[in-house]
Amino acid sequence: MSSASLLTAVLLVTVFVGTTAAFLAWRERPEPGATALVALLVGQCWWSVFFVFELQAMTLGAKVFWSDVQWAGVVVIPVAWLAFALEYTGYDRYLTRRSLVALSVVPVLTVVFAATDDLHTVLYLDSTLVVEGGMAVLSRTPGVWFWVIAGYTYLLGLLGSIPILQFVRSDALAFRGQSAALLIGTVAPWASNVLFLVGGSPLPGLDPTPVAFAVSGVAYLGALTRFRLLGTSPSPNHRARRLVFERMHERAVVVDSHDYVVDLNESAAAALDTAPHEALGRPAASVIPQYETLPMDGPAEGTLTLPADDNQYDVTATRITDSRGRTIGRVITFHDISDYLRQQQRLEVLNRVLRHNIRNETNVIYGYADLVGDTAGSHEADIIKERALSIDAMSRKARDILDVFENARRPVTAVPLAELLDQSLAAVRADYPEVTLECGELPGVSVSNVLAPVFSNAIENAAEHNTSANPWVRIDVDRDGDVVHVVVRDNGPTIDEYERSVLERGTETPLEHGSGLGLWLIAWGSQIAGGTVTFAENDPTGSVVTVEAPVLSEATPPTRDPLAVAGDDDDDPNAASGDETTLSRR
Amino acid sequence: MYSSVYIALIAMTEVAIAMVLLSLPLNIAPVVVGLVTFAVYGGDRLADADTDAVSNPGQAAFMRRHGDVMYVLVAVSYALAVTLSVLGGPLAFALAMIPGVFWVLYATDWMPDTGLRVRRLKQVVVLNSAVVALAWAVTLTFLPLAFADAPVTPATLVVFGYFFLRSFVDTEIPNVRDVDADRQTDVATLPVVLGVRRTRHVLYGVDVGTLVLVGYAAVAGIVPLGLSTALVVGLLYSVGITTFVGRFEDEELLAKLPECEYVFVALTLFTALGA
Repeated sequence: MSSASLLTAVLLVTVFVGTTAAFLAWRERPEPGATALVALLVGQCWWSVFFVFELQAMTLGAKVFWSDVQWAGVVVIPVAWLAFALEYTGYDRYLTRRSLVALSVVPVLTVVFAATDDLHTVLYLDSTLVVEGGMAVLSRTPGVWFWVIAGYTYLLGLLGSIPILQFVRSDALAFRGQSAALLIGTVAPWASNVLFLVGGSPLPGLDPTPVAFAVSGVAYLGALTRFRLLGTSPSPNHRARRLVFERMHERAVVVDSHDYVVDLNESAAAALDTAPHEALGRPAASVIPQYETLPMDGPAEGTLTLPADDNQYDVTATRITDSRGRTIGRVITFHDISDYLRQQQRLEVLNRVLRHNIRNETNVIYGYADLVGDTAGSHEADIIKERALSIDAMSRKARDILDVFENARRPVTAVPLAELLDQSLAAVRADYPEVTLECGELPGVSVSNVLAPVFSNAIENAAEHNTSANPWVRIDVDRDGDVVHVVVRDNGPTIDEYERSVLERGTETPLEHGSGLGLWLIAWGSQIAGGTVTFAENDPTGSVVTVEAPVLSEATPPTRDPLAVAGDDDDDPNAASGDETTLSRR
Repeated sequence: MYSSVYIALIAMTEVAIAMVLLSLPLNIAPVVVGLVTFAVYGGDRLADADTDAVSNPGQAAFMRRHGDVMYVLVAVSYALAVTLSVLGGPLAFALAMIPGVFWVLYATDWMPDTGLRVRRLKQVVVLNSAVVALAWAVTLTFLPLAFADAPVTPATLVVFGYFFLRSFVDTEIPNVRDVDADRQTDVATLPVVLGVRRTRHVLYGVDVGTLVLVGYAAVAGIVPLGLSTALVVGLLYSVGITTFVGRFEDEELLAKLPECEYVFVALTLFTALGA
């Protein structure tokens, strides 16, 4: 096979691979970089096709003509490469219409100079036919503009490679493969062009760059098919990280190892009462109050007030290290805890009011009502005493709720389940002696102490509201692996569906609210203990409250006998039916 | 059938007919045209899979199911066609690009958003079929000519006119099946604008026009009488198919039958040559 035939065959392979890759890239529009990659591949194919025609041409004039036509494809490649690289890596903000026009000035001038080649010597000084490897090839002496466009092409090629280089060491295999293939596809024609320019080409008169496009085409095709180029791209990464930093709720300031501010988000700038451009580059101590007292790493003690508001901030310093573990800076984050502190104060005040003030006041009301009753013996005095006791009971439940939430902030304490239920049963037995309390066998397990008021309220509710002629409440416990199901059944009235719907919704409004606090206490307590609570109807009447709670540890088996055996067959407490309401696990 | 392979084979037959009519030596033009036809029709069916779901649900389902493979085949076909056309020189290369370029102009919303209202050629009545016919007539006639490096003669113009008119009919007959879908997608074809009956009359007119052209070529000695006869056989077949327009229940089959005209022409032609 002659040199010309071999060269033509390689160029045809280039055209085939490049066109196929261009089609595949075209399909991926509007993925970032797809259109630019198509332009790049079309430019390469154009160069190769007209290079074939140049080789096939027999006269100097024809060869010069096809050589000049090639420039239309040649000049597209560097601009398309840079555009692709910027879009693919997420730096497309630099790719505006104006910047594209600016980038296209030199290429457009080159095409104009090529089209008017016979009128001047800007692009080429001279064109002759020489024989290389047994074939007549076009030899052209470069003019000034040739070196301008060559330098320009190399510059854009380099600029485009820089953002892609960072993905060669990406954690994602796909991005590593994509960037490596892209760089191979770019370096191959570069290398061959450099060989040509320094006179190292096997055929000195012939620019072998289009031949190297065969390598580029295969590399790009491989990136498209093997590494899903354009199917998955790192383009959102760059912007997403910036977006997260800018939009994060915390105020954040980045300082370098010399304690100068190198970055800060908008909310930090606002809280520090400064503009980002004013803060950047300044010593951190002049921007952040009490900077010297902040730790090198970890949370600061106490809270900090920032210049722009009276809010209280938790401050945390997080060390930034390089790949060798050396500290290169810190991120100082400010978390606004004003709401939290206000909430805590409110709870403390309410707690005090519930614990002392309401209790004292109800005691006084009860005492005076007692006195009035003793002297006048009125029925009204009894009602006042009953209501005072009701207020006291309600404040007790409210305190229990506060305790439950307070417990949620502390480490969990495991308590034997039997102990919790014994205490609850004893209290209810004392308050409601007319109600028969039954309890099945209890497993020797421990559960969260938060469940104490949950069980108390569940059993007390069942007893208190039981209007049956022969009231009973039965507790059964089933163990299922790491959870226990504590089932409280009664033969009183069922829990109102409206009450259950309020619990299901999870919020109360002035118009839609529950009648008390007991069910809320059961629901919240169960959730805080890591379990769930289910309400159902008993058959033929009554309620079934099932608390599912995680087993925290094995406990000493109960030493006492069950309080009672199961009830009689006529009124089977084991059956449950009707609608169920489940409050989900936390 | 759904993959458009049969259309590619028929297109290759058309090029072979053109080469016989123009007395051109054997070259790879039919292969190039076959690859281009497969790519263009396959690409069009992929692009229109959603709208074709109304008029041709089987084809649309096939394209959706094998979309990825079909797209790769389309890409490889066109790339191979372009590559082979380079061997024929600049003119062959340009001619091989024409169907693809026209397809982009015809079927896709490739125009950038300039604020101007640019309608797809596919939506403009008569012009849509004329553009398709023109693209195919140019490629079928001039590509083998470019590969053979032969000059343009009066016979070339007759063959070009013949393929232009035939391709117009071949494009409009399937439109009868697609009336509902075209109306929904705002594509104006002859059956949509004129109705099926008047479309049939227009197609009769085009058939008669082709007959006049072939008759003139035979009488004027531009195309030998034997070869002209083969074309007339094809035309009679075409008139027969046109009479079924709007009267044949299996519109799916009717849409494919016009293309078979070239099989009859080719058989007649090669029988005549053999004789």
